[in-house]
Amino acid sequence: MKLSTGERWDLIDKISKETVTFGAYKHTLKDAIGELTVKPMTGIPVAIAIMYGFWSVFGSFAGFFTDGFFVRLFDAYWLPWLQEVFPGQGGWIYAIMVDAGGIESGEFVLSSNCLESFGVLTSGLFVAIGVVLPAIIIFYLMLALLEDIGYMPRLAVLLDTVLHRVGLHGYAIVPTILSLGCNVPGVTATRILETKKQRFIMMTLLAIFIPCGAQIGIMQDVVPDLMGWILLYLIIGYFVFGYILNKIVPGKAPEFLIDVPPYRRPLLSNIGKKVGGRVKGFFVVAIPFVLLGCAIVGVLYQLGVIRFLGDALAPVFVGWFGVPKETAGPLIAAFLRKDLAVAQLSAITMTPYQMITAVVLVSIYFPCVATFAMMLKEGWKELLGALAVLSVVVFTYGGLIHLIGILLGVA
Amino acid sequence: MAGQSSGGAIYFAILGIVTAAFGLADLLVTASGSEFAYGGILEIPGDIFRGGWGGIIMLFAGLFYLSGIRNFDDIHQFAKVAMGSILIWVVAGCDIFAMITESIPSWEEETGPWFNTFPDFIATYAPPYAPAVLLLPFSLVVIYYIRKRASGEEGSGNSA
Repeated sequence: MKLSTGERWDLIDKISKETVTFGAYKHTLKDAIGELTVKPMTGIPVAIAIMYGFWSVFGSFAGFFTDGFFVRLFDAYWLPWLQEVFPGQGGWIYAIMVDAGGIESGEFVLSSNCLESFGVLTSGLFVAIGVVLPAIIIFYLMLALLEDIGYMPRLAVLLDTVLHRVGLHGYAIVPTILSLGCNVPGVTATRILETKKQRFIMMTLLAIFIPCGAQIGIMQDVVPDLMGWILLYLIIGYFVFGYILNKIVPGKAPEFLIDVPPYRRPLLSNIGKKVGGRVKGFFVVAIPFVLLGCAIVGVLYQLGVIRFLGDALAPVFVGWFGVPKETAGPLIAAFLRKDLAVAQLSAITMTPYQMITAVVLVSIYFPCVATFAMMLKEGWKELLGALAVLSVVVFTYGGLIHLIGILLGVA
Repeated sequence: MAGQSSGGAIYFAILGIVTAAFGLADLLVTASGSEFAYGGILEIPGDIFRGGWGGIIMLFAGLFYLSGIRNFDDIHQFAKVAMGSILIWVVAGCDIFAMITESIPSWEEETGPWFNTFPDFIATYAPPYAPAVLLLPFSLVVIYYIRKRASGEEGSGNSA
């Protein structure tokens, strides 16, 4: 049976008369609050408050488990026990698995804490379980709550105009926030963006300017007072280089349409499933890289490779970036583990500004191996392009941060 | 009904002024780089995060209250008042959560006890408090108005 246009409209009228109730809709408080969180004048203060709550709870929760319990468990019990029972003290295997230690007055000295021992079973496990696990659990819990309450689409609408300036749109907030947990699902989530240009810009910005949960957890633990400045430099870099990329990368950056759902009470079972799945995914993908990265860093240190590269590149680090020569080693090792590199940096004596510069450099220097592999999966051309951008960004932005420090008289 | 509404408007106007004043005080204390305590009950944190960002949020909470009191009965205006309270709950909730997480472990070095002693646990919750925590009970009054409004809506029906 074929209907004419008029007959179709008649049918539509008939169905709608039977199924739709017409009348004036009276706004509820939930609707009115929903509107407030989307309008820029009122939505931005709410977004600031939500981000404040997010990071405050993140810091308190992670600090509770890491500083309250895990630091003592690993430093006072696990490390001394392993140092005692693991055979071959001072040897290669011992250095890689338990404690690289140090030499004082010609004698081998054991490390006093798990952040300095750099063994797979000590630093590796401490970072994975003692630092990253609490940080990741609370991060994904808060994210799941924001998603299920219905706030994330509103944040996307609120940030749409700003993100258009960097060639993206409001939905780019999803991979960006996911990357704050782990860059790997963040890179995968770039697929929600429509064009190649958008995906390239997003992937490049994630790899360079978004620190992962492991790195944030370590930063929160070892340089908590400098976190604000470090994140500020990364946010500025995200938008400045995003703007430049939008201007030079060919392609389209289309508008997006989004259905903003009403606010809803989150279901505990949904939250549990989401957090459980994401934490499991993180552990399957990232934990082997934490332990393997720790082992490779240990081997490279033992072979003298990192020391050689550090010495060779020291003039660049000291002269161009304004950080001490000793930071060259951790900055090179950052390719394998950014979190461990931050921990290594915390053991080096330097001014607060040098520490800010060094940690920002660790963040923007190179994506970790897991992210690198994921970017390769998305396409080798995109990966090469992102690495080319990254090289330029590291030198220009690193030098610029040094220059700002010189002008402020703090470098 | 109108009398009750104007009572609510006056209450939230005063609360808005006090909240905004506390927000400004938070920002000034943070800018001065020191902490401020008064009468053993009030303590304004001087760190950038709690004092600076927390102060900005408190200031916005005060402004939400003040902008919502005109035509208080209108749902969109009342939502601003409710949002002012929600902002205070976020800051105060974070402060209380931080207190809870600080009160449980002993924070002693190396091989001391794992958990806090009972007196120290209780002492963590003793005053002085941050402005948001002090204003928390006053901000809860909005729940009374939300319930009153909800019961009114049920009586009249939501959609025509």
